[in-house]
Amino acid sequence: MKFEEKVTKLEEIIADLESGNTSLEDSIDKYTTAMKLVKECDDELKKVEEKIAKLVTEEGIKDFEVEE
Amino acid sequence: MDNYQTIGEFTRYLKLMFDTSTKMRSVYLKGEISNLKIHTTGHMYFSLKDETSKIGAIMFSTSAKKLGFTPEEGMKVLVHGRVSIYEATGNYQIYVDEMQEDGVGNLYLEFEKLKKKLKELGLFDESHKRPIPKYPKKIGVVTASTGAAIKDIISTIKRRYPIVEVYLFSSLVQGDGAKEDIVRNIKRANEMDLDVLIVGRGGGSIEDLWPFNEEVVAHAIYESKIPVISAVGHEVDFTIADFVADLRAPTPTGAAEMAVPNLSDVIDMISSYKIRLNEAITKSYKLKELYLDKIKNSYIIKNPLQLTLTKKQNIMILEDKLNTLIKQIYKLNEIKLSHIIEKLELISPLNVLKRGYSLTYKDDAIVKFKDISKDDNIKIKFDEGIINTKVVSKEKL
Repeated sequence: MKFEEKVTKLEEIIADLESGNTSLEDSIDKYTTAMKLVKECDDELKKVEEKIAKLVTEEGIKDFEVEE
Repeated sequence: MDNYQTIGEFTRYLKLMFDTSTKMRSVYLKGEISNLKIHTTGHMYFSLKDETSKIGAIMFSTSAKKLGFTPEEGMKVLVHGRVSIYEATGNYQIYVDEMQEDGVGNLYLEFEKLKKKLKELGLFDESHKRPIPKYPKKIGVVTASTGAAIKDIISTIKRRYPIVEVYLFSSLVQGDGAKEDIVRNIKRANEMDLDVLIVGRGGGSIEDLWPFNEEVVAHAIYESKIPVISAVGHEVDFTIADFVADLRAPTPTGAAEMAVPNLSDVIDMISSYKIRLNEAITKSYKLKELYLDKIKNSYIIKNPLQLTLTKKQNIMILEDKLNTLIKQIYKLNEIKLSHIIEKLELISPLNVLKRGYSLTYKDDAIVKFKDISKDDNIKIKFDEGIINTKVVSKEKL
């Protein structure tokens, strides 16, 4: 699932749970799913490695450094 | 001698010829400015020339004031005015009322024409514009590998959302071959799995930005499967690329800001989701708990016997009904039985006894004559009683 889809799903579940119209079993299921999504999103966002810009050339992809 | 005219007469005649000619009253010329002199009054005197010819020109201050640029020696211009003769010198010259820079003027007309055409073709349609993904993973950039644009884009992305991958498609962005190179790079970018594509360059003169006003570039942006953010020039100038792109950014930095969210904002958002989830589930729990309490305290749960009591009452009523019914059936059968008994009595052998007959028993069974022998103990039953006796003798009749 893409990050955007995860966020959308999270928003849906939160709205659902906040409405209070779900059964207890359902709430727990949804809560569990949502917390899993939260963790996945968190992990994606906190990947510490900083991406280096790449230059796409005919010969392939190489690191790109801005000339100062 | 009468055939001879004065110079003045002839010149006035020529001037009249010029001034009455509709062709001379509205003339469009293009050429290069030379011998430019700007008088303190604001009038401008110059020549317009090309490789072969030259014409004197004058622009009065009322018209000159309206110019959007400062004319310079050697500048190529497009002018409009009327052509007339200056009596004193006999020179014809153009009285310019409008002037614009050549090239730019042409480009401007070209721009408007192309804009109209592409608009009619539907290239600017809002319905074709795709949303820019909010949280991209891979961003493509079509611009020059040198210059401010790529530098601004990369530094902005690093500052806001360093977790995104940036792929640069180094392209010519001005001069010969630029439009073809931009098109080629947009197509190359489309071969990769990118979330969004920034196409642009830093600010420059209108000629510098021109590749982004080319029809082929417009089509390439329109046909890109990856959503395109245009980022050409500095704020004011709109290019054709801006109209076609899914999103127009005023500058390369602006494009980078539109392409990525702020990482800390996104982290905050996810944290807030976490809090809301926990609050919602706790609230949901509490609500269910309250509901459970309500059930626990309900009359029927607290007085479960009440539930059986009613059932018991129902059963008792049924039981009563059943008893009555059985009794009725019993009584009915009793009556039937007494009738049968009466009928049976009518044909009973015991009834015969009442008429004076008797029955003979041996060993408590009714016997016939042949069953009885001498000395047998027998019983003779009469209506009123029984005689026990012993057989003394037996005679067959």
